[in-house]
Amino acid sequence: MSAMRKRRFNPDRDVKEWSGPSIPYDILKEAFVALVAVGCLVLLLAVVFSSPDEHAVTLKTWSTADPVDFAQTAITQLDGTSPVATYGPPYNSTPGAAQHIGFFEPAQWLGTHQAVDTAKDFVLGPLQTLPGDAAVHQAVSEYEAASSAQRQAWTSAYEKAVADAKDVNGTLQVPPGPYGPVGTIIARLTSMAQSGALDGALSGQGQFYNTNYTKPLLFIASGNYLADLAGHQHLQGDQWGMMNETGNYPGQAWLWLYTMWYQVAPMNSSSNADLEVWGIMMVLTLVLIFLPFIPILRSVPRWSRVYRLIWRDHYRRLAQSRVARPQSVSATVEPTS
Amino acid sequence: MMHSLLLGSLIDLGGTGHYIHWGFIQLSVANLVVIIAMIVVFALAIIIPFPRHGGKDK
Repeated sequence: MSAMRKRRFNPDRDVKEWSGPSIPYDILKEAFVALVAVGCLVLLLAVVFSSPDEHAVTLKTWSTADPVDFAQTAITQLDGTSPVATYGPPYNSTPGAAQHIGFFEPAQWLGTHQAVDTAKDFVLGPLQTLPGDAAVHQAVSEYEAASSAQRQAWTSAYEKAVADAKDVNGTLQVPPGPYGPVGTIIARLTSMAQSGALDGALSGQGQFYNTNYTKPLLFIASGNYLADLAGHQHLQGDQWGMMNETGNYPGQAWLWLYTMWYQVAPMNSSSNADLEVWGIMMVLTLVLIFLPFIPILRSVPRWSRVYRLIWRDHYRRLAQSRVARPQSVSATVEPTS
Repeated sequence: MMHSLLLGSLIDLGGTGHYIHWGFIQLSVANLVVIIAMIVVFALAIIIPFPRHGGKDK
């Protein structure tokens, strides 16, 4: 038996050396022409359609447009029941909150590496930066000095009261109740947000140019205001929002497959949907990468014969020369199954 | 007037978007137009003959 075992010819794996005709092709010229053509097209489309220009949603715009929703969200930041406060890693260590598939729990493994204490970071801390406001400083001190049970009693009472709050010409009006200093705290936080100071307090990094909007975004995302705006623009996860853009602008159509998984069971009702969809896409990506090694799938391009449509001139000439000289061209014919 | 003309777009695509609902599928009309355009370009790329450079096969 010879050391080099001769394998049977497989058209999906083996390629005969091409000995047929060839033509010169200037790929640099093609790239340059394509660059110029696409550049002109982009310029033309930019002039005709411009680009989306939605105004940024800030704590100021939110608290001004809907102070009741702002206050209802702010109290959940204070008592630690907001979506951010209970999100789990990377913001906090809420037990069982991290998405997982069986033992695969990457968020939990990476831990809390961007800690957010919603009460301190979103409410009490910013209020303490207000200069010359003795009433709010006293309210914050009273709240911090109180027992855990007392705080919970105050915040529970305020949550009940703020459910019936009203927006009177942009001013928050909450029915009276036994909520102690919490009324002053949320009222001041609302007016601070309406002035724009809360945006500055949450995004300030001590640098001239600020690029980190994580905290104000987390705060805003806890309320209903941003979600309602997103829903109106078809940008929610259950609206194929990943591939949409605001208004009538085309969006990220190439994300159709990624966002499609969020619309079907069990992902559309799963608390681990992000991880499950990511897992599906990783498996499909691996299939694509290793396509040349996967039997049956790797034969689809040969069976579909699209290549014969693209190179139809070549195959037409080949067929003609076969008719004319059946013996001499046999060496240049591609192997077929 | 001149500034608004220069800074604005000739066709305004802002406003309320238009969407097509088909079962669980929701697709914006704008995305549908882009997808159809991509399919047309793909078909044209296959149908239009490959450019020749006037020379013969070597």
